[in-house]
This record gives sequence, C-alpha cells and structure tokens, in this order.
Amino acid sequence: MINGKDLKPQDISKPVKQLTKIDKLMDLPAPYDKPGMEPELTEPKEEWAEKFCASLDGYIGLDTFETPKTKEEKEELVKKFLSGLEKMLSDETNRSIIQPLMLSLDYCAKCHTCSEACHIYAATDGNELYRPIFRSDILRRIVKKYFTKSGKLFGSLVGADIDLTWETVARLGELAYRCNLCRRCAQTCPLGLDNGVLAREIRKIFSQEMGIAPKPLHEKGTMLQLKTGSSTGITKPAFLDIIEFLEEDIEEKTGWNIKIPIDKKGADILLTHNAGEFMAWPENPIAFAILFEKAGINYTLSSDLIGYDNVNYGIWYDDAQAKKVAMQQFEAAKRLGVNKIVIAECGHAHKAAAVSADRMTTSDNKIPVESFLPMLAEIIKSGKLKLDPSKNNFPVTLHDPCNVVRQMGIVQPQREIIKAVCPQFREMTPHGVDNYCCGGGSGFAIMNSMNFGEFRNKVSTRMKFKQILDAFQDTIEDSSIPKYVCAPCSNCKGAIRDILEFYEVTAKFNVHYGGLVELVVNALADLEKPFLEFLHDDEA
Amino acid sequence: MPFIEVNGKQIETDEDGFIVNLEDWNEDVALALAKTEQVEELTEDHWKVVNYLKDYYKEYGIAPMVRKVVKQTGFSLKEIYELFPTGPAKGACKIAGLPKPTGCV
Repeated sequence: MINGKDLKPQDISKPVKQLTKIDKLMDLPAPYDKPGMEPELTEPKEEWAEKFCASLDGYIGLDTFETPKTKEEKEELVKKFLSGLEKMLSDETNRSIIQPLMLSLDYCAKCHTCSEACHIYAATDGNELYRPIFRSDILRRIVKKYFTKSGKLFGSLVGADIDLTWETVARLGELAYRCNLCRRCAQTCPLGLDNGVLAREIRKIFSQEMGIAPKPLHEKGTMLQLKTGSSTGITKPAFLDIIEFLEEDIEEKTGWNIKIPIDKKGADILLTHNAGEFMAWPENPIAFAILFEKAGINYTLSSDLIGYDNVNYGIWYDDAQAKKVAMQQFEAAKRLGVNKIVIAECGHAHKAAAVSADRMTTSDNKIPVESFLPMLAEIIKSGKLKLDPSKNNFPVTLHDPCNVVRQMGIVQPQREIIKAVCPQFREMTPHGVDNYCCGGGSGFAIMNSMNFGEFRNKVSTRMKFKQILDAFQDTIEDSSIPKYVCAPCSNCKGAIRDILEFYEVTAKFNVHYGGLVELVVNALADLEKPFLEFLHDDEA
Repeated sequence: MPFIEVNGKQIETDEDGFIVNLEDWNEDVALALAKTEQVEELTEDHWKVVNYLKDYYKEYGIAPMVRKVVKQTGFSLKEIYELFPTGPAKGACKIAGLPKPTGCV
C-alpha cells in the first residue's frame, strides 16, 4: 500500500492488493474536535474485496462490477474500455461534450488551483488520490499512449506511461466515483478546464460501453423509472394513493381543506417533484400544495408515466439514459398542454431538465423549464402570503445545491425567501456559487451498497458538516435551542440527514434539516400549530 | 450470491441482506432476517407493522410512506423505532421481505 501523500498517477497499475488508504481526515470544529466524537474508519470486508474492486482505496462504489476471473475476461475488460475511449474521443459519437472534453484533456497546466477548491481533497488532508487532476492525469496518459502518434512511438518519454491492465481500468472506474461532479474545481480553473467532465466521461464509458453503473443509479434508478415512472418504484396507483393521503394529512395538520390538482387540463404549470419527497419527506410536497393554493397558482401535478418524478440520474453517468428520461418528461408536459414545467426542490433535476435537456432536442419537442425559486420569491414579494417570521425564531442556515447555484446561477431568490421568513438566518462560509457540495452529489446520496456510505459520511460530506458546525458555533452546544439546516434539494437533504444521524447531531445538539418551502409554511400567520414537527411540544 | 440460511435452506439475499425473491419469504425467514436487524423476537406488535408493509407492497408494488405506516398501525414513529431499531425503511422492510428502498429516499 502506498502512502496517500506519495501516490503518483503511474501507480494506478501497481499490482498491489489495495493501492492506498485514507489515514488522515480534516479536523472538525467544536464540539467534534474532541476524540471519540465520530465513528472510526473501517476496513472493507474480505468477501467484498474478493468479489468487487476494493483495490483503489478500500471503498466500493461500483456495486455491479464483479472483478474478472479469467484471462479472457480481463482482456475483454481492457478491450471494451479502449473501445469506449475511442468513442469518447470522436466527434461522431460524443459531439455534445467533445469540445470541453478535449480542452480539458489537452491544456491542463498543472497549476493545482483546482486542488484547493475540492472538498474531497481537503477532507482527506491532501491525499493525492483525490486531487482533482489525479484522475484526469491518468486518463490523459492513457489517451496519449493509445490514441496519439507520439505516445505510441515514444511512450513514457512523452508522458504515455500507464499500463492499461484490467486493474487500471477497474481502479479508474472506482476513481470516477470519488468525485461529486460539483464542478467547484472547474469554476476556479484559470483556463476554464473541467475535471468533473473527465470524471463523468469515465463513468459514461463504464455505463455506455461496459454496462457497469452503480445499481442505485441505473438498475434501481433509471431502469425502474422508465418501467414504473419513478426511481422510487412509485406506480400510478401508488402515486394516487399517496396524494390522497397527503390531502388528509394537510387537513389534519392545518385544518385546511386543500385539493392537490392532478392532470388538470388548462393548468399553466406542471410542478414536478423528486418522487423521493413523497416517500421520505412528504411535508415538502405538502408545503408546495399549501403555498401554491394560498398564492392562487394555476398548476397541476401529473400522474402520467414519468410525469410525477423529475429525477434524471442519467446526467450522472450515461447520456443515452439521460436523454430517454428527459424526452419522456417533456412529453408528459406536452400531453397536459401546460405552458411550462416548474422544478421543485431537486437540484440535479433543475440541471437535467433546464440545462442538459435543453441541448438534447429541438424546440418543437421542448417546453420551457423553470426553477421554483424565482417564482416563490415573487410570490413572497407580492404579499399574497401573510407571514409571521417570528414563528421561525431559531438559527437557520442555508445549504446551496451546486446544481442550482453553480450550474444555473440562481443565487438571490432563495435568500430573499429565507430572509423574509427566518429572523436568525446566517450564511454558511463560503456560499452561493462558491458553496461546497453536500457530499451527496452525483448519486453519492443514494449509493449505500457495502461500505460506500462510510466514504460519504466520513469523507465527501465532511466539508459540509464543518460548514454546518461553523454556522451554528454560537448555539451548537446549547441543545435547548433548535437549529435548522435548510437544503432545498432531495439529494442534499439525504446527504445531510445522514450526516446528522451518523454524527448524532440531532440527538446531541438539536440540529434539524429540511427544505425551504417548509420554513415558509411554518411562517404562515394563520397557521395554528407549527408545521415543523420538531417545534411541537410533545416531541421536544 | 450472499444468502441467509433458514431451516437448512439457503435464501438468496443482496449484499445488504435484503431477500431477492419475495416468494422465499415465510415467518421463519422473517425471524432470521429480524436477528440481522437487532430484533431478537417478533411480537404481535412487530407483526402488525410487518403485515401492513407486506399487504401494502402486494397491492402497490412499493413500500408505504413512513407517515402512512405510523397512521395505519397506530404506532408513533418513536414506537416504531423501538420495535425496529434500524428504522422502518431498512429494518422493518427487510424483515417483511420487501426490497431495499430505491430512488432519492
């Protein structure tokens, strides 16, 4: 095993059982600066390491990739990877991404500005394996060796010095799942190069060419969504049952009789939720229903296949799957005849539907897609909602989902909203387009097979946990004061929920989490009982 | 494939111990799965939750929302966690033979 500080890109093909391990983590602020406050790192189980590729850093993200046994299988793996690389490099087969890809491959000056920007590199105290350009440099050397004249002729003299063994391929596949694709590094690069694109290209080769992708993203994600309409497996009858239940729940909680419109003809807006909200955080779609009703918005949800779930996991690993889902989502909106789709609290759905899908088809097939944030900010400004911010008189901080801020530039609306309803709002440092990823980005939040959850909880979410603790330093140790991390994104919420559980932050320090609309509903002046359950006396 | 052994029979599970085929499920399997989720015996209260999960899954092909489990069984979330320390989505669903929850949940 090689010490993380000494690791070089060429080491990726070293025939050792495990290349490196994480031996030091970034310090956390008080009260997590004392020993014994967090669970220790663990070793992978022997039976996992035998069956899957744990030979990178001991973690297993690619839970569908069983390591090849025979010589033929090993050769086939390398062959397929090379064939995928060839397609990656061709304008014919990779047109949508070829320009930023080639620029990023060709022009890196190794200035390492990006390293300082990466939350995973920082969390591992500068382990070379997680340096944003480490992965890129391996890919670059392989491309040089197999796809350039100079590389074929002169090899290591021109930096084409990586042996493409099956183990190299396997480790590179794993390494593509040690990056959240948050693109903070791309934002900081003086040359505008994007290491996130390169990580995603490796994921694409594995999925599109080799049929290997994490089960929660592909088999239990995209494929289940294309079959049932949702990656949660919610079918149309289940969806209708859930909506009926939510309406009853609204009445019980608030005394208000609110109908949630489904497949309403003539609606102006199709509102789409991440269907995970219905299963895990039903108070979020409930809060949307209350606010849209009170503001008199002419909207509908769709019970059509794929119309009730806005997720699109393909944008994390596979262009073809991303397009399939995006096109069906547009079709569902077309059939309803709405004027636009409004995306609720899901970050990657924002990017998938409003940015990525925009380049996937021609205008005839498209319907305008907007974020709920500017719209909700307008509603608040209009004065249609009677608000009493004193109902939210506890410390609140805001996590910015990368897809909303960095990828789309939506920064101010959520601040206008939160400042209107939370008197004790405080920013994280840094925030807005400079935010750090929650650590659950690009699928990590739902990748829980084997020990991958540990990588997320200890490493990729570490910077976010630090930011949360920093934001609440004034009150963290006073457990009589509730504190709220607002994360307007299902994926981010999942990652933050896991942080709060893993480090027992809710139990010990009364820190809660949830979305943005819940805070707005909780501030409604005519609401009798608090909407946020942690404010109920009987559960305090 | 990993498996769990019940009455001398090997029942196929995924890497996280959820059974792969619902047809393999029976009360003995449930008890064996319970032991992997910090539940030593299945009382009447446990069965009330487990049976509700199974019935809902049979009808809708998906586990019910946690809030619905609370309402339909009459147990508070706290009581459900007392019955199933690893939670309704993981522990209770696993014991009921349901697959691991999917999507952003």
